[in-house]
Amino acid sequence: MLFFNTLKLLLPALIPSWNFFDVIAPSPRIEYTLLNSENEMIAEWKEFRPRPERLSFIQVLYRLFWNPRWNETLFMVSCAERILQNPTQNQDSENEILNRITSELSEEGLNKSLTAATHIQFRLLTIQRQDEQLIHEVNFISRNQILPGNILTPGNDV
Amino acid sequence: MSFEDAIRLTEILLGFAFVQQSIEYLRGIDTLFSNFRYLFIARLLFSVLLIVGFQPAWILLLLVLIGLVMLHRFQGPYNGGSDRMSLLVLCSLCLVHFVPSLYWKEIAFGYLALQLVLSYFISGWVKVINPDWRSGRALCDVFQFSAYPVSESLRAWSNKPRLLFTLSWGVILFELLFPFSLLSVTSLYVALVIAAGFHFANACLFGLNRFFWIWLAAYPAILWFQFRIMSIT
Repeated sequence: MLFFNTLKLLLPALIPSWNFFDVIAPSPRIEYTLLNSENEMIAEWKEFRPRPERLSFIQVLYRLFWNPRWNETLFMVSCAERILQNPTQNQDSENEILNRITSELSEEGLNKSLTAATHIQFRLLTIQRQDEQLIHEVNFISRNQILPGNILTPGNDV
Repeated sequence: MSFEDAIRLTEILLGFAFVQQSIEYLRGIDTLFSNFRYLFIARLLFSVLLIVGFQPAWILLLLVLIGLVMLHRFQGPYNGGSDRMSLLVLCSLCLVHFVPSLYWKEIAFGYLALQLVLSYFISGWVKVINPDWRSGRALCDVFQFSAYPVSESLRAWSNKPRLLFTLSWGVILFELLFPFSLLSVTSLYVALVIAAGFHFANACLFGLNRFFWIWLAAYPAILWFQFRIMSIT
């Protein structure tokens, strides 16, 4: 089983398809919300890692050598695409996204007004063009995940 | 470029690409998956050993094993095409060291050169058969709503259809014509400089920095491949 699973993962690298950007598929955005209890009504969704308004050329050059955050974001986009392709059988991808949002919030430290949050949830919003219009559509809402204790208190790791 | 020189240069460039990737991984997992931290530290160490040329065959084999563990950990490549190319370069080099005869060593390394050519040609082919790419609309969509532009200000490029039409056809024609660059040494060098510029632009506009480094690592294979073909003809 392990052998065949490894082969399934490795073969696309050894015999690649190289069909980069062949079609421009609906693009997922990850939005999250923090809840003060498991059954709280969701008040607000926030975009996870909104991109900066602009980057200087120096920043762009710097990112040629050091770009871990953006590469992690692209990995999360891959996870989101896997979930959209098969929403019921991608719990690993759902966990990846939930864990990374949680970790980011803990690193950022934290808006004190959010310290009462006990649960986190994310949704996948897809954007696609139909004729000349951009259509925004919610295609997936994750489960509620309990936040680790005091995650939003500065200095505590997940 | 001789076979030995091409192999050694590929190992060095691959080592640098892996050092860069490994340090990024270490940053990305600083609070998560702490057991995997050791895997990436090992990968970083082996990559340095690969650069200095210490026991390259065994180091490459260890790097392949780490690559397989990473595939399982992330249920596929972490960074799509760049990780796939990383594994392809790695496996080709590893085979070169472990297959018994020069004939099979050249087949293994030649396969990498062939895949490099295909990476451009097939990318161009899938674009040219798509009407949205031919009209420039697809590139407009990339800037307008895809996840790739690194800043909001880049989204404004979607309002420049003439520029995007020109860029689309520039990319399509370059990718489709890339195999013809093998016809002469000069044309191959020119094509590789343009290709590196293309990956540099993708790194600047879409943050695909790992593609830049790993595609560069495969270039010695095609330089040797051309030399080998010319020596036959």
